Amino acid sequence: MIHFDNVTKVYANQNRPALDHISVDVDKGEFVFLVGPSGSGKSTFLRLVLKEERPNAGAIHVAGKDLARLSNFKVPHLRRRIGCVFQDFRLLPNKNVYENVAFALEVIGKPRRFIRKVVPEVVELVGLEGKAHRMPDELSGGEQQRVAMARAFVNRPMILLADEPTGNIDPATSIGIMKVLDRINRTGTTVVMATHDAAIVDSMRKRVVELEDGKIVRDQSRGVYGQAY
Amino acid sequence: MRANFIFSEVWIGLRRNLTMTVAVIVTVAIGMALLGVGLMINAQVSNMKDFWADKVEISAFLCSKDSPFEACKNTGGVTEQERETLRQQIQAMPEVQQVYYEDAAKAYQNFKTQYGADSVLVAAVKVEDMPESFRVKVKNPESYTAVMERIKGAPGVSNVVDQKKILEIWFSLLERLRWSALAVAFILVFAAILLIGNTVRLSAYNRRRETGIMRLVGASNLYIQLPFVMEGMIAGLVGGVVAATLLIMSKVFLFESVGQYLGSSALGWNDVAWVIMLTMAIGVIICVMASFVTLRRYLRV
Repeated sequence: MIHFDNVTKVYANQNRPALDHISVDVDKGEFVFLVGPSGSGKSTFLRLVLKEERPNAGAIHVAGKDLARLSNFKVPHLRRRIGCVFQDFRLLPNKNVYENVAFALEVIGKPRRFIRKVVPEVVELVGLEGKAHRMPDELSGGEQQRVAMARAFVNRPMILLADEPTGNIDPATSIGIMKVLDRINRTGTTVVMATHDAAIVDSMRKRVVELEDGKIVRDQSRGVYGQAY
Repeated sequence: MRANFIFSEVWIGLRRNLTMTVAVIVTVAIGMALLGVGLMINAQVSNMKDFWADKVEISAFLCSKDSPFEACKNTGGVTEQERETLRQQIQAMPEVQQVYYEDAAKAYQNFKTQYGADSVLVAAVKVEDMPESFRVKVKNPESYTAVMERIKGAPGVSNVVDQKKILEIWFSLLERLRWSALAVAFILVFAAILLIGNTVRLSAYNRRRETGIMRLVGASNLYIQLPFVMEGMIAGLVGGVVAATLLIMSKVFLFESVGQYLGSSALGWNDVAWVIMLTMAIGVIICVMASFVTLRRYLRV
């Protein structure tokens, strides 16, 4: 599903590569934790998958497409098959829960009938039934992240990328967020989650890829967070 | 759904940037109105040129008894024989289409109708003061000077007047007006382009959250850019409508008042309609292009 082959990324004005000859394979339906300290290249990895950045060397394949040969014109279509969740939720403050989720479908031109049918289903899937008409500032952090996950998942992407989704959320609420991610993963969606949260990684017992200074130092199935130390 | 969504985005964008939008509309309106005035003057000049082309004559005035002209000194006026020779000479010229003779009485008559029967000027002038003349029409406007030169030296001719010269003063005045209108229009169009650039930049900044999410969920470039381009287009269109109103007003108050002296060479409404359509199209195209070009810089897709 995601295939990195010897990928190197150096940002302009920086000597040290953000990613240094990375090769990694993520299969369809897998759940992968991307761990490592800040600046180890986790976010760069996710940005490369989205083709927000281009690698300086190496090849990236996502959902069977060679990103180097994917024209800019087709990038939006790639992104429709990838959902994204961030630490800061990135909701629209002037739209309610339903509208925030529906926005993702409106802007890719889905018909209104389809949106009316699908959005409530997804809002229920993330556990926000009955709160569809709340505004984001009336929701807790955990609930806002659920909205963000609903928006990321509403178009049934093949891949869900999560960049520290529990970074702003207390541990008890984080468990709920992880349950939703697990639920999404069980529908067959590949999930890649970058995180610092050792407790979550340890409890989930999924594949762990650890980055340090842009290099993979550990790739372990059913791993835990801190084993390398 | 699509159209609904885009229009609501456009409306939000225009409202958030109201002052900038108004600035764009005013600049576009004045710029396009001046461009339109320039085009209308252009149409007026070409109308007049067509109209006058077959009316302009060369007037060869003949010596009267006490003519002050150098050529008539000590001649005691044109003789019967000189007049006949001149007429035959002019008629023999291949460039000449028509020639007719205007005697002193006829000239006095024209003079009186031109200035009004009770004017002081008319009262001071007697029939004998009016010069008799040959009025020459030329087949081809280019041969005016050649014909004039040949008549000038003939005996009994006091002076030769080319009406085209008088019209040319008019035309050069109109031409200067047109160029100044176009120059100011050009400056304003330039200002409008910069203003639109700024408006779009502000708009893109205001909506960076929305566009960021749109990018993330895979909205196509067209879908992301269209609201911004439409904002420019609508500002251009409203500016165009204001410009059209200004142009109609200039036709009613300016060209109409000049037009009553011009008879059938006056600017018609069909000319105005054509100018309005052209300026509107130009205004909208400029706005759309300016929005699009700035978008490429400020909205990463």
